[in-house]
Amino acid sequence: MKERYKKYTIEIPEEMSIPFAGIVESPKPNGEQPLMLTGGWRIYRPVVDSEKCVMCKSCVLACPDATVLLVDGGNKIGFNLDYCKGCGLCTWACPVNAIDRVPELDFEDGVPFQDALFLLPHVEALYADD
Amino acid sequence: MTTLLEEQVQAKVDLPLLQNIHKAVALDEYYVMGHRTCAGCGPALSYRLACKAAGKNSIFLGPTGCMYVANTSYLCVPWAVPWMHTQITDGGAVASGISAAYEARIRKGKYKGTFPNIYVFAGDGGSSDIGLQAASAMMYRDHDAIFVCYDNECYSNTGIQTSAQTPYGAWTTFTPPGPKIPEAKKLWPKDFARGMIALHPGMQYTAAASISYPVDYMNKIRKAANVHGAALVHVHAICPKGWGLRANQVLLCGKLAVECGTFHLFEYENGEYTYQYQPKAFKPVTEYLKIQDRFAHLKPEHHQKIQEFINQGLKRCGIKIPVEAV
Amino acid sequence: MANAPEDVKLKRQAEEDAGALADSRTGTTKFLTGLGAAAHALKMADIDVASSYPIRPYTGLMMMLSMMAARGELDLEFVHGEGEHAQLGIAHGASSAGARALTGSSGVGVMYAMEVYSPISGGRCPLQMVIADRTLDPPGDFGSEHTDALSTRDQGWLLGWAHTPQEVFDNTLMFYRIGEDPRVYLPQMNCQDGYFLSHIPMKVVVPTQEEVDAFLPPLQFPDALDPENPLGHGPQLFPGQGHILEASRVNAMMGAFPVIDEVVNDFNSRFGTSYDPFVEQYKCADAEYVLFISGGHAYTAKFAVDHMREKGMKIGLVRTRWVRPWPTDYLADILTKFKAVGVVETNNSFGAARQCGILTLEVATTLYQAPKKPVLTAFMAGLGGEVIRLDEFYYMGDVLKDAAAKGSTERTAYWIGFHNV
Repeated sequence: MKERYKKYTIEIPEEMSIPFAGIVESPKPNGEQPLMLTGGWRIYRPVVDSEKCVMCKSCVLACPDATVLLVDGGNKIGFNLDYCKGCGLCTWACPVNAIDRVPELDFEDGVPFQDALFLLPHVEALYADD
Repeated sequence: MTTLLEEQVQAKVDLPLLQNIHKAVALDEYYVMGHRTCAGCGPALSYRLACKAAGKNSIFLGPTGCMYVANTSYLCVPWAVPWMHTQITDGGAVASGISAAYEARIRKGKYKGTFPNIYVFAGDGGSSDIGLQAASAMMYRDHDAIFVCYDNECYSNTGIQTSAQTPYGAWTTFTPPGPKIPEAKKLWPKDFARGMIALHPGMQYTAAASISYPVDYMNKIRKAANVHGAALVHVHAICPKGWGLRANQVLLCGKLAVECGTFHLFEYENGEYTYQYQPKAFKPVTEYLKIQDRFAHLKPEHHQKIQEFINQGLKRCGIKIPVEAV
Repeated sequence: MANAPEDVKLKRQAEEDAGALADSRTGTTKFLTGLGAAAHALKMADIDVASSYPIRPYTGLMMMLSMMAARGELDLEFVHGEGEHAQLGIAHGASSAGARALTGSSGVGVMYAMEVYSPISGGRCPLQMVIADRTLDPPGDFGSEHTDALSTRDQGWLLGWAHTPQEVFDNTLMFYRIGEDPRVYLPQMNCQDGYFLSHIPMKVVVPTQEEVDAFLPPLQFPDALDPENPLGHGPQLFPGQGHILEASRVNAMMGAFPVIDEVVNDFNSRFGTSYDPFVEQYKCADAEYVLFISGGHAYTAKFAVDHMREKGMKIGLVRTRWVRPWPTDYLADILTKFKAVGVVETNNSFGAARQCGILTLEVATTLYQAPKKPVLTAFMAGLGGEVIRLDEFYYMGDVLKDAAAKGSTERTAYWIGFHNV
């Protein structure tokens, strides 16, 4: 019986296979989803002036992407630049104007100067031999 | 109501309310970085805050919409909690089924864990328009689940079309302004949350919140989860693309909506409304309209109509706070 | 039985014809309608969640389940769906959370839920839907046509028909076991003719709970929505992955064949039944022409075949238990033995090829590459939910006898009510 109807089945090569029923793994809490790197979208980068900052943490709750972080043992504000889209909500939310929106072009490692970062792995693989 | 046996009901631990922003910030992230939502996306922020408030013992459901499509491209998800896609039509139905499954399986000894908090995260279309029937039925049947409507006042995902919660006068791709229709949108929006309250007198908790008031919103999510039965949270989630704002003005826009009295922050429980924002006077609605391109075509007579609608709304809701003159 | 040697099959056929196998089952004899049989089986299957909505004629199933729940005979979450679309949504959620879920409908109700069938089968949720067939609107007739369930045949569900309340009982258990098998994980539509099966009681032998438990283990769905094991169900795919997902769904459907074989044979050995896993052949051993049918009218047709055989007609009946997956090769082997095949269609597809019914399209494709094809025609009968009378079956027999002799028919489809008068 299995053999008779096998001719109607499709051989799916290992490298093309997708998970059962399209069910995917969840990322870890406080983690990231590296299949959707979004830092490459930025035109402006947030920069915090730690002198002005009063650690009210309004910026932390203003970020749709959870990229505004507590760093340095929870004493300073930092940003995950792999994912920060540069939307500026944290800048607006700051009550003491401690965050600036600085053009990416002003940074040596600014987004327009990056070669092959922020590519999805399978796209990166396409350019691997260039 | 829930049919779980008493000891199993007790086993569902209440989520404590957050006293301040520091407590809120300290919570773990369950909607992590790495999703294709627009820069400054209000609904994405509402999702992040909800998941942060909800915590580990949660299941989230995503009816089709921006919070499905923009988050799951491709073959990946940003939720660190179980998540399932539903049709835009049936978020409430799927939540009901999951809730019933857990009731049955716990009671019958087929599942040994704690009853999870089950959240539908539906857009305004998936709540008050095409999803209205399933939303209402979930509340009527009082399943132990939370219906969250992230309201960006349009069908954003499909490219900004009008929904039943798009305001009068708003540009959308189905309501463009023109000589024949100078106001663009002639229809007044549904009052979704109050409509659901009226329709389901047995529902134990309903709240209206805004991403511009994040700790208040997160507490409302927690209170909704703590209820043993259905609950509704209607969150104002500003869409920079659909409303014609720069991304960094999203939270300002949400604040002005509340300050102009066009979006009320409230809780409804035990037959009473409490309002979280009670100024001496509301700002004139023109403050709110003027920062959004979707209202740019409106004339003073349209502003006036909108202001009258807001004033009537305050009266209808028994909010005895005046509106400043322009 | 499908793979048994020819002489064993003929012996079995003779025994069946003599009624010798009729009482080889043991258990409690009850007098149940098709809906009652389904309800009893579902109770014994210990379903967890049922979503209801009333529509004639399947409503009685939900009434019985709610009574069983209220009396404490079945520990069931009985959810009052607000419509058929919601029923499927509720069952989808329940199944995704690892519960054994059940729903059902008839007629236009089956159509209203259309949106959700593909998400459910693509999500590999092994829930069951009991369908008591009903003619579609217009005109709101309550009788049975199969177009309702047949219209969903492209959506990826297992789809099969019973022809007696006993078979409804048996299918209910078998379908869960097949659909929940980890090699399959597909939802099932368990169909019975509205009124003819759903409301007419017949003898049903019910096994013991221990026997049922031994045959049907509890559902295991390891990827269920569970905070202890977070997973994402149903993200978008990469463009360029669509064909991969669909291929995997085809493979699941094809993978059901050996499981159906295994499960039905297991059922037979445990309960003393003699179901062919896929296709029943009734008095076909020496037949030259056959009626091809699925569903409840086969019961009447068997009497008609008996009477026609008494008159010397070499007619038999071929009844497919499954429409999805369609047992192509097995059916091709069977049908090519005959000179003429007449498909009894209680359904319609307006504008279909040769303006036949839906099953004829499947049969024609089945026979397409056969070197020697029988004459193929359709009999549009029982439309509007009417009884198919014995004299109407005799008419069909005459047409087929003629076709076998001539090697052709005048018509691609003979309409009872027009061409037989």
